[in-house]
Amino acid sequence: MPPRNVRRNRMRSIFQASSTRRRFMLGSATALSSVLLANCTRNLRGTDATAESPAAENPTTDEGTSAAAGDPGTLHIYTWSSYVDDELLQAFEAETGIRPIVDIYDSNEVMLARMQAGGGNAYSIIYPSDYMVTEMIDMEMLTELDKSRLNGLSDLKAQWQSPVYDPDNTHSVPYVWGTTGLIYDPELVGEEISEWDYLWQNRDRLNRQITLLNDVRETKGAALKYLGYSYNSTDPDEIEEAFNALMELRPAVANFLTNGWEDQLASGDLQVAMAYSVDALSLIDEYPNLVYVVPREGSSVWTDTMVIPNTAPNVDAAYEWINFMLDSDNSAELVERLKFSTPLESAFNKLPNDLKADTDLFPPNEILENCEGIAPIPQDALELYDRYWTQLTS
Amino acid sequence: MSTTTPNSSPSLSHPPKPGGNWQRKLSGFIQPLVLLLPSGVWLLLLLVFPTLLILELSLVPGYRLGQVAGDYGLGNYLDILQSTYLQVIGRSIFFALGTTVLCLLLGFPVAYWIAVMAPKQWRNLLLVGFVLPLWTSSLLRAYAWITILRNSGLLNLLLRSIGLPGQSWLNDTPAVFIGMTYGFLPYMVLILYASLEKLDKRLLEAAADLGANPFQSFWKVTVPQTLPGIAAGGLLVFITSVGDFVVPELLGGASSMTMSRLIYNQFLGATRNWGFGSALSMVMILAVSIAIAFLLRYGDRDSNLT
Repeated sequence: MPPRNVRRNRMRSIFQASSTRRRFMLGSATALSSVLLANCTRNLRGTDATAESPAAENPTTDEGTSAAAGDPGTLHIYTWSSYVDDELLQAFEAETGIRPIVDIYDSNEVMLARMQAGGGNAYSIIYPSDYMVTEMIDMEMLTELDKSRLNGLSDLKAQWQSPVYDPDNTHSVPYVWGTTGLIYDPELVGEEISEWDYLWQNRDRLNRQITLLNDVRETKGAALKYLGYSYNSTDPDEIEEAFNALMELRPAVANFLTNGWEDQLASGDLQVAMAYSVDALSLIDEYPNLVYVVPREGSSVWTDTMVIPNTAPNVDAAYEWINFMLDSDNSAELVERLKFSTPLESAFNKLPNDLKADTDLFPPNEILENCEGIAPIPQDALELYDRYWTQLTS
Repeated sequence: MSTTTPNSSPSLSHPPKPGGNWQRKLSGFIQPLVLLLPSGVWLLLLLVFPTLLILELSLVPGYRLGQVAGDYGLGNYLDILQSTYLQVIGRSIFFALGTTVLCLLLGFPVAYWIAVMAPKQWRNLLLVGFVLPLWTSSLLRAYAWITILRNSGLLNLLLRSIGLPGQSWLNDTPAVFIGMTYGFLPYMVLILYASLEKLDKRLLEAAADLGANPFQSFWKVTVPQTLPGIAAGGLLVFITSVGDFVVPELLGGASSMTMSRLIYNQFLGATRNWGFGSALSMVMILAVSIAIAFLLRYGDRDSNLT
């Protein structure tokens, strides 16, 4: 009775298919999460066996934390991908004998979620941005810094002596600052861009050839600045006006991307991209025909800081790290290598003249005066931002 | 994969066992229990428990990690009914359905060719070759498509070199379909292959003998035999693509918000509204469960009829 057997077989094939499916779903899930969601764990230092600091061999007496985390010979750092390099880590280990181990995150919110969920107990140093410092202080997640153990705080430029996000730097030490602006090829665009207004003026011509940051606060902030309001506006009318302005601009927007615009801009498929200065400047290093500009109406100035979380296992090493980073020689070298702006006066003075004069790295004061830091805003305003954002990107 | 032909053995249905003593009944009960224990624990810890957690979070309007939770309520679910969010859900389903259909249209001939027409000694190699792209990260593949589809990219270069006008492919819906179909086609081919491999060719010969043209024998013999494979493949592609947000986001342009990205934004974006994000997740889990239920029921009915 062939038909019957055919049917039986059909059922079997369903089960076989589903077992294949499960295997592949697992595979794809891990691939996805390792690339995107998780914070790519990366030991930048590599595994050369030079890490024989005496402490590393002693059994640890810490309870609760894992052996690696409690080990006084190692320092776990949780930071942005562009803020450390092998040279820096090797120099730190050579000087202190402490082996730094680095994990990477790509947004403040990812870092916060991990710390809140208890997944970040191993870290002694984190690098939250300005507004996130305020939030973490409010949630009592940060250690109050013992300033007698820090050298070189007085070297901070005046703007960072008592920043709004953490008055008197009680819980955080500013490490890097930068701006948000536009990057473009003047030859391709045919003129100089100096204002946000340019995008709206030329929106017909720019048809699907600009990208804006995939970040509510930044992109919304740019529209608010274009309209003459604060980057951190909480006024519902102003927020709605900014949303309408962005809807007007949308036909010109190819995509909302924080990363991924680089190749398209370099190849001329995009005319203008909105970008963080660090990303823009490292691309300009490769393609000198590109230009970065902080729009005249003002933009955001962000500061990334170093903090010690409450749960930090190895506080002594954390202080050593902060002191190492506050050293003007170390800091100046990093600015040269990684292209970001330092808040340290003496590190700035040690820079070669061409970097000192680089207005992309260190914009002139008349532009900085119009810029603002992204500040925490109340929840209801945030929700309004998010609802408009969903509409804008739908 | 088993290579038994469908009617090599007559059906071996076990006669019902006579009701033995209670010990045998007990051991008959315990044995499967012990065998099921590892997967049961796995499912409980990694599927049931987290899902219940999400369900609980979804019932707390405006829940945020690190804040005092409010009362239970259905507010999060009511929020989903706003037209903005319904539009996002609709787009996700549209992307997923389109991808499923495209994968089926492209995957069936390929699977048929590998399973039926290609030389036997080449089959495994061909299959591995087809699955090979899955070994790279989906993010990398999306970036590769950017290089191909952008205005000055490979595709337009090719088109222009043969005298056709270039198109603006990137940052639009077609790019999403191209990227997702490319990404999920191997799943479809694998599953269709598994069911086409066991295709009873004698039935095709019989159909030809009885005067059916190739189209008729394909439609009336091949397709019904592979229907479970088509359903399983379609469902797998649909479920995975409805949850994808890498491809829509990188290739889809300014108006490509999908449900997964919306959920991501609720958890790791500026608002950090975990309650609303959980409600969205529950809706998605429910939708996928319904799709699976349809498949199971469809399969069941199929085997009970006649």
